[in-house]
Amino acid sequence: MKIQVDLDLCQGHGVCVEEAPELFALDAATSKVVVLEANPPEALRAKLAAAVKYCPTRALRLVEE
Amino acid sequence: MSRAIPRLSGGIPLLGHLLEMRRDPVGLMQRCRDECGDVGELRLAGQSMVMLYGEDAQEAFFRAPEEQLDQAAAYPFMKPVFGPGVVFDATPEQRKQALRNRSLRDQAMRGHAQGIAAETERLTAHWGDAGSVDLLDFFAELTIYTSSAALIGPEFREELNAELVPLFHDLEGGTDAIAYVNPNLPLPSFRRRDRARKQLVAFLQGVFERRAAEGRESKDLFQILHTIKNPDGSPRYDVSTITGMFISLMFAGHHTTSTTSSWALLELCRNPQWMTRVVAELDALFADGGDVSYQALREIPTLESVLKETLRLHPPLILLMRKAMTPFQHKDWTIAPGQMVGVSIAVSNRDPALFADPQRFDPSRFAPDREEDQRIFAYIPFGAGRHRCVGAAFAMMQLKAIFSILLRRYEFELAQPAESYKSDHSKMVVQLAQPCRVRYRRRKQSAS
Repeated sequence: MKIQVDLDLCQGHGVCVEEAPELFALDAATSKVVVLEANPPEALRAKLAAAVKYCPTRALRLVEE
Repeated sequence: MSRAIPRLSGGIPLLGHLLEMRRDPVGLMQRCRDECGDVGELRLAGQSMVMLYGEDAQEAFFRAPEEQLDQAAAYPFMKPVFGPGVVFDATPEQRKQALRNRSLRDQAMRGHAQGIAAETERLTAHWGDAGSVDLLDFFAELTIYTSSAALIGPEFREELNAELVPLFHDLEGGTDAIAYVNPNLPLPSFRRRDRARKQLVAFLQGVFERRAAEGRESKDLFQILHTIKNPDGSPRYDVSTITGMFISLMFAGHHTTSTTSSWALLELCRNPQWMTRVVAELDALFADGGDVSYQALREIPTLESVLKETLRLHPPLILLMRKAMTPFQHKDWTIAPGQMVGVSIAVSNRDPALFADPQRFDPSRFAPDREEDQRIFAYIPFGAGRHRCVGAAFAMMQLKAIFSILLRRYEFELAQPAESYKSDHSKMVVQLAQPCRVRYRRRKQSAS
């Protein structure tokens, strides 16, 4: 699986960082999301799904390969 | 290749469509859609405004960078409300900084839910077993407290009282589209607007002076801003500027939530089958006596769908605007620099091409099998893209916290004919028209 980000939509709320700190961080300069692991391991699927679901701007997508 | 943008019929000399905008803005914007299609031009006094409709045009609008479609220049009626140096009088760079208000970060949000619930309990503590309440008065006061506690600080909230409610009402009433002619015409609504702003400055001045006299160590946002100094030792922000920030936070976070709360309660009263479902959902969720916590509020799908449907049918903002700074191309149409560009939330949210049976109150359109809000450039109560309301998640959490208390403690019913409840669209800020009373009665088996 892969993480897709629409940076036009991200406003830096940081929900993804709370849900999956292994996968996301906020850029200090732009306050936008930084993906730490573009191809996350299967073990983190639930955390990633929560980050996608609760992102307040729908900026994240989980894409199956 | 550029096609001419169709012009909407019916404007009058000099004022264009301004009077129609003040009389029936939603009707005007719908008429432009019906007559002109996806792109149509109308005139507000000397200002040309190109309206964009449909998912594609709206996506182009929402994705455009600030350098191309500027937000600040499009809202001249807000400048006298906020005052100099605040929001729409600030540079794009200053405004980007403002978006980083940490109180809206998810981490902070987790602490806000219980405070909002407690505030709702507090404001209804004197309600007694039965009575009636004016929705505008009640929710305006409640959301001034909840929003100021969360966004500015709990100590600041304690400085506030019901006397501020009419001041905000006057500020909101001062957002007349006639500001496109001149925001300082000698009109009663503009005079009330300016007087209310002065009173708020005096109020804040009083807060700072009292705190200084008592030697109190205050730590809320405004106290911190008040103490920041320039390199030469002068204060960075004067009280008028801080008042402008207060007003801008309340415009963003209070009248919108207040209007939405009112309409949600009205729609629940008008649609008793949904009231029954929402109350059952809340009773089950809090059956174990658990707190109104952030996590609990995340999983209330029926109430959430009702709130989304309320926002679709009664968006507290009906029109979003920008000013073209460079030529803006959409398909074969070119919008020239200096023209305004508009997207109508009210029209989009009821577009039959985008929503099934759009006039009907039907929260099940947001259920997992339909999810009509997935089309993020069509369902736009909070706007979309880079300027999407940064407080949207806070607003939804706040609405859910408020109703988690109200609907478990009280039953509600309309106190007026169902069709008598209306939004007042004569100003750019939508208000519920008064009177707007409902009756309440304490529930027999109300959870503690």
